[in-house]
Amino acid sequence: MKIAWKEMKKNKAKFLILGSIIFLVSFLTFIISGLANGLSQDNAALIKDMPTGQFYLNEDAKQTYNLSKIDIDLQEQIMEENPGAAAFSVQMGFVNDADDKQHSVAFVTSTESDVFETVQEGEIILDSSLKDEGIAVGDVLSNNQFSGEFIVKGFVDKKKYSHAPVAYINMTNYQEMYRVMEMQTIFIPAKDAPMFIGLESFSNKSFLNAIPSYSAEQMSLNMIIWFLVVISGMLFAIFFYMMNVQKIGLYGILKAIGMKTIALFRMIWVQMMVITIVALALSVGLSQLFNVLAPAGMPFHLTLDTVMMLSAVFLIVGFIGATISGFQIKKIEPLQAIQQGEM
Amino acid sequence: MANFLIEDVTKSFTSGEVEEQILKGVNLSLKEGEITALVGPSGSGKSTILTIAAGLQRASDGKILFETKDMTKMSQEEIRQVRAKEFGFVFQSSHLVPFLTVEEQLLVMLDVSKTKLGKQEQVKEVEKILKLVEMNHRKDAYPASLSGGERQRVAIARAIIHQPKILFADEPTASLDTKRSKDVMELLRELTKTLNLTTLMVTHDEEMLPYADRIITMRDGYIVE
Repeated sequence: MKIAWKEMKKNKAKFLILGSIIFLVSFLTFIISGLANGLSQDNAALIKDMPTGQFYLNEDAKQTYNLSKIDIDLQEQIMEENPGAAAFSVQMGFVNDADDKQHSVAFVTSTESDVFETVQEGEIILDSSLKDEGIAVGDVLSNNQFSGEFIVKGFVDKKKYSHAPVAYINMTNYQEMYRVMEMQTIFIPAKDAPMFIGLESFSNKSFLNAIPSYSAEQMSLNMIIWFLVVISGMLFAIFFYMMNVQKIGLYGILKAIGMKTIALFRMIWVQMMVITIVALALSVGLSQLFNVLAPAGMPFHLTLDTVMMLSAVFLIVGFIGATISGFQIKKIEPLQAIQQGEM
Repeated sequence: MANFLIEDVTKSFTSGEVEEQILKGVNLSLKEGEITALVGPSGSGKSTILTIAAGLQRASDGKILFETKDMTKMSQEEIRQVRAKEFGFVFQSSHLVPFLTVEEQLLVMLDVSKTKLGKQEQVKEVEKILKLVEMNHRKDAYPASLSGGERQRVAIARAIIHQPKILFADEPTASLDTKRSKDVMELLRELTKTLNLTTLMVTHDEEMLPYADRIITMRDGYIVE
């Protein structure tokens, strides 16, 4: 431990450069993950932020949310039998402000529920991102499919669907606009909800795949994140491997004077841990700061859980890389190591 | 009295499909309080026999008896323990640890050899040995700031601080000028006598031979005289 620390103290510049590479690679991974998660959140925050439960779609909808229509009698029966259940629908659309400027929204309506905003007829509650587009409480909005007008009653934070801000409206208004009496989905906030004839049930996670384009987009985003994590992880492992293999002459000298192999492993691990932990702490701190300071319009979502999970992955692969180099050093005879170091 | 015997030691290296025999049956005995010098032309196998005797690489065949124990039968860990406690090494280019001060080089060696000395006693022991090699005034210096002669003195100090029984020196004066070479050899001779060390040294410098008690000549993997 002491010898590992002494080397780092004496070769500050070298270890600082090594640490800064780890910092930059991990910071890049965190930021890209944050942006990818942000896009994913932008697509389905409305659904993702709902409590754990079961979603039901019509069996004929072929697992596609847009095509689902729940029979009204069945809906009423489910609502009666399951207190807390809610029927809801989402449709893409737009609203016009007083200057006749169009704003894309995702109209959401539901039966009375704690999960969704309760809105009276002629009222609308919007996602707060629309504030940046100049809409304020009390504004009057219109829609060409709706005979009346909507008065903005308030805003809610981070409620997005299909990259559009959510607009909560009353069910009667919704039925008039989309000329449909049935709701698309029923949600029961319970882990083990019952089965119903004619309906297909989905968990929160599997329901996201019923949203058109969500799974395709998510697949691309996940590929970006995991490619980045795998490549960064490999860089970490190769990096620590190379760092130690380059010092093989030094390890040869220490082996020659009789230093225990476990002491060499400890030296390798301590240096790897110190560099990685300091670099990751900086990356985590800065990425969380970016999470707070990121421009409002930029979809950036990086939870501490994600950052901690990625940090653990980096620590593990760094440890593996360092340990593999340790085995190389363990295997080699001291003289051979010294000679290799002289090359 | 001989406390180190090398019996019929051979060493072969395989390069591709060609096997080259570097040592072809070497027999040698080393005695306490003596410097044995191994001389011979380049490629004669003198450094190879020294590094095999020192446990830095394995022999292909033969026996190496240290105080009646056959080192060729020992595990890696047993050889490491012998290296750490009973052997000292002086390499051609000193091979000091670049990020440790002179004092720390010696403290690490004491740590590795698991000496029973306490912290204070270790520092005193380091001071004593550094005085012996006349390097006490540079105890806080790093290897990069030392001259070649000073580095070899520190390497010698590191090799003897843990009171080894055998001292191996591979061309200890090769990188030094004549004056510094003689200083180092005088120091090695003095230490061998006063500490009753068994010293095996490889050299190609004939001027260093007067410091040896015995001179062994090698050629083509054999001892010739």
